[in-house]
Amino acid sequence: MNIRPVRVDDLPGMQACNLQNLPENYTMKYYLYHAMTWPSLSYVAEDPKGRIVGYILAKMDEEGGEEAEPHGHVTSISILRSYRRLGLAKKLMVQSQEAMATIYRASYVSLHVRKSNRAALGLYRDTLGFTVQDIEKKYYADGEDAYAMRLSLKS
Amino acid sequence: MSDIPAARVLPSKESTLFKELLSLYETRQLKKGLKTADQILKKFPKHGETTCMKGLVLTHMGRREEGVELVRKGVQLDLSSHICWHVYGLIHKGEKNYREALKCYTQALRYDKENLNILRDAAQLQTQLRIYDGLVETRYTLLKIRPAMRQHWVALAVAYHLNGNLTEAKKVLEHYELTLKNVPDYDVEHSETMLYHVRLLEDLGEFTEALAMLDVNAKSRAIVDRTAIMEIRARLLAKLGSDEAEHAWRVLVEHNPDCYEHYRGYLSNLGLSLDPTDPSAPQALTILAEFATQLPRATAPRRLALTIASGSSDDFRVLVEPYLLSGLRKGVPSLFSDVKGLYKEEAKQRVIEEVVLAARDTFNVEPPASNVEPTSYLWTLYFLAQHHSYLGRHAEALAVLDTALNHTPTLPELHMFKGRVLKRAGDPLGGARCLEDARFLDGQDRFLNTKSAKYRLRGGMVEEASALLGLFTKKDAPSPGADLEDMQSLFYLVEEADAHNRNGNFGPALKKYMAINKVFDDFEDDQYDFHGYSLRKFTVNIYLNLLTWEDRLRSHPAYVKAALSATRIFVAVHDDPSIGTAATGNGGQLTSAQKKAKQKAKKAAQKLQDDAKKLAASHANHDDKGLEPTPKDDDPDGTKLLTCTDPLERAANLLKPLTTLAETNIEVWLAIYDVAVRRKKYLQASKSLARAAALDAEHPELHVRRVEFRQTVTSLPELPQVVGPILTESLSKLLPDEVSLEAFNSQYLQRHATSAPAILAVAKAMVKLQAPRDQVEDTLFTALEAQVTLDIKTALAILAFLGTIKSPREGEFRTRCDEKFVLATVFKSPAELAELRQLAITAPQIVPDKVEDIP
Repeated sequence: MNIRPVRVDDLPGMQACNLQNLPENYTMKYYLYHAMTWPSLSYVAEDPKGRIVGYILAKMDEEGGEEAEPHGHVTSISILRSYRRLGLAKKLMVQSQEAMATIYRASYVSLHVRKSNRAALGLYRDTLGFTVQDIEKKYYADGEDAYAMRLSLKS
Repeated sequence: MSDIPAARVLPSKESTLFKELLSLYETRQLKKGLKTADQILKKFPKHGETTCMKGLVLTHMGRREEGVELVRKGVQLDLSSHICWHVYGLIHKGEKNYREALKCYTQALRYDKENLNILRDAAQLQTQLRIYDGLVETRYTLLKIRPAMRQHWVALAVAYHLNGNLTEAKKVLEHYELTLKNVPDYDVEHSETMLYHVRLLEDLGEFTEALAMLDVNAKSRAIVDRTAIMEIRARLLAKLGSDEAEHAWRVLVEHNPDCYEHYRGYLSNLGLSLDPTDPSAPQALTILAEFATQLPRATAPRRLALTIASGSSDDFRVLVEPYLLSGLRKGVPSLFSDVKGLYKEEAKQRVIEEVVLAARDTFNVEPPASNVEPTSYLWTLYFLAQHHSYLGRHAEALAVLDTALNHTPTLPELHMFKGRVLKRAGDPLGGARCLEDARFLDGQDRFLNTKSAKYRLRGGMVEEASALLGLFTKKDAPSPGADLEDMQSLFYLVEEADAHNRNGNFGPALKKYMAINKVFDDFEDDQYDFHGYSLRKFTVNIYLNLLTWEDRLRSHPAYVKAALSATRIFVAVHDDPSIGTAATGNGGQLTSAQKKAKQKAKKAAQKLQDDAKKLAASHANHDDKGLEPTPKDDDPDGTKLLTCTDPLERAANLLKPLTTLAETNIEVWLAIYDVAVRRKKYLQASKSLARAAALDAEHPELHVRRVEFRQTVTSLPELPQVVGPILTESLSKLLPDEVSLEAFNSQYLQRHATSAPAILAVAKAMVKLQAPRDQVEDTLFTALEAQVTLDIKTALAILAFLGTIKSPREGEFRTRCDEKFVLATVFKSPAELAELRQLAITAPQIVPDKVEDIP
């Protein structure tokens, strides 16, 4: 599968991929906001027909004000079930992290995962090297807790 | 300031109050604002600006009608006040009526030429409306007023760019860069601006200058986006024919070895093609082999080599064997869909089949060899099933799947694919059954859930699909569908609309097609804020791409499909209004499922309104409701849509954008014709048929319309004035004058006697020519003859057409199809179908007790 930086015309495909796969969904405006603010951080995986089969939607976290260390945040990452075991998540993540570090000098990247989502937890921890930093109580709209995870970008 | 009209001037007390009112509005202290406005109006009831402000405040408070009325009154009271016009503009903008809003802002600017807020809003409106010459003027004015604001420079450059004047855009940027002092290191905004400048130079064809600018700014770290630097650099060097280009592309390949464009760039820079028939193919293969060795984790060079290698040479086998075996061993589910592009070449097809059959035998040994995982065998069978199905061998595919499922019944992919085979073979209900089996194996997986729901919709089970979808949608949404619609799920909207449409529930179908149109309206509105935002962020390149994307938005397949399907329904209710009145339910013809659906829709709508009320109540303290009207749904099941008085005009509006965005789609021109001919716009009708003929002169549906159009025009009491001669001329181009319609029809049949869609078209034309029904039936039944290629879709269309002409032979045709399509269930009797439907949704008999062990 082809791995490349996101283009505006990928966003509907990204949205469709997200809706098919994950319980956290967003309207187009939110995808546009990411692309228009951090145009080089999000990546897609496309199949030979040009269909989006996986994506990473990423941003810089601006919480903590000017003083805080700049760091990236993965808003959403997902691979269609039928395109698993190709290492796509890792490939997408690597490209995005590189951009976070070189463009914005991010020192680490963070993400949230549902406590109950063991498959995703496994991916982030074992395949991508994230560690659990904290538990955020009732992070999700339905009241579920989230693990806040981090990966250092300092080599 | 002597020319202020007397009616506007307030004494000092009220004047202070008015200033207070403005700032109360700015901070959205609406209740206090309202009080203050009333205080002024008590003494000066005809004060236009206060009246407008009061209206604006009321609108924000949710008292829309009253508020808007006051704003209108206020404008009338003081026609030369920029405040009044500004407020009126805000109201229009809130209603997304951009054109009217801009008119108001233009008025406002007449009376206050240098008002920054109004100018900025006007610029955003001009961009939204693509009035680029006006935009240049507005941006120029803004820059003149505030040249110290960096964004004003870039905004003017962008305006020139959009207006097609790239040279002027470049000049503005050059000027801007000269004014810059002390740009901090790693300034992303500056980096984006410089990247925009480079793009401008590239678009102007000034490649050397673009490259120099890129290199200088990359070196000084003014441009910080490394990936962008590498990509633009390689592209520019290639365009300049530089020796350095090869190295630049290589750097890119190494940077992201899974990006196909990088390999294409590398090869094409060397004059090598990716086309397997090109004589340079062996050279390209050697290079890809080197990359594959150098980058062992990358798939792209290996996969690209498979495309280039010739299927008839040994090269292909040598390359494809390890590729397939590695995928089968790893259990890569997408392996088949990855390689099926190679099936265009029959030789490659054969080699792949041989390799996979051999793999199956190697993997299937008892006891398993120590270096072979038992799952490899399973994934090989999965691949083989897809291979057979792709080549139309449904029975073989099913046999392989049964072997696999006997081996391991807990792999969802096997059930999913079995479902797909059945669906392709005309058994959507059996397909739905299999997808439910797959879903049962992993209820936590939304992908399996979505697929199972989709298959239920394909089987016409709308309610049952909704029950599944609801497992993953928001619990507090009025219905699963409402949440998916809010989340702009085009997939869901298209599938459910189509399901209703196939079930003959045209109201709900139309409702969902129009919901798709609404999603695209929203996408279009979404850009509005970015006309300001992106320039403040200096992310110009992606912003320009956003505008291009928005301009082509409705070329999206979901929109095209929705517009065409909605048009067909609108045309059908125009031809036969009883379709619309039947759906209103007063005829008592509703099936119990329809009744249920109707009730459910009613309930959902009720909940929506209750929720809105609750929301309003909870906002009682925080009383700003904004300027956008709250949407109200008084037609939950689409009955009003279906019985509207202007179905053709609505259809024409839906189709309009497609004349430029989907102009190579023949269905679009046929649909435009269908609407135009009914609106008696004969010239447009004839032009549409000419466009269709240019795309596919022998298209069956075009044939029917040629006949219909000649009939229509020749039966007109008199030709329309002015266009009459043009019409006659274009008609004879579509259908020669000297040929009778009967002869035209039979000649068409002779040319396409083995095509089922053509046979159907000829039958439709015969009905228009008032041929006896038994002759029409005889023609249609030839579709069943051995020499005719008939697929399930066309068979169903013929069956439906027999229904519309009330043929007594409808049942006979159904039975014959049932015999012909062995695996299909779509030709079963209603009683048999009801049973199958039940079977499709019951829980699986055997639920595996351990789903953890899924390989």
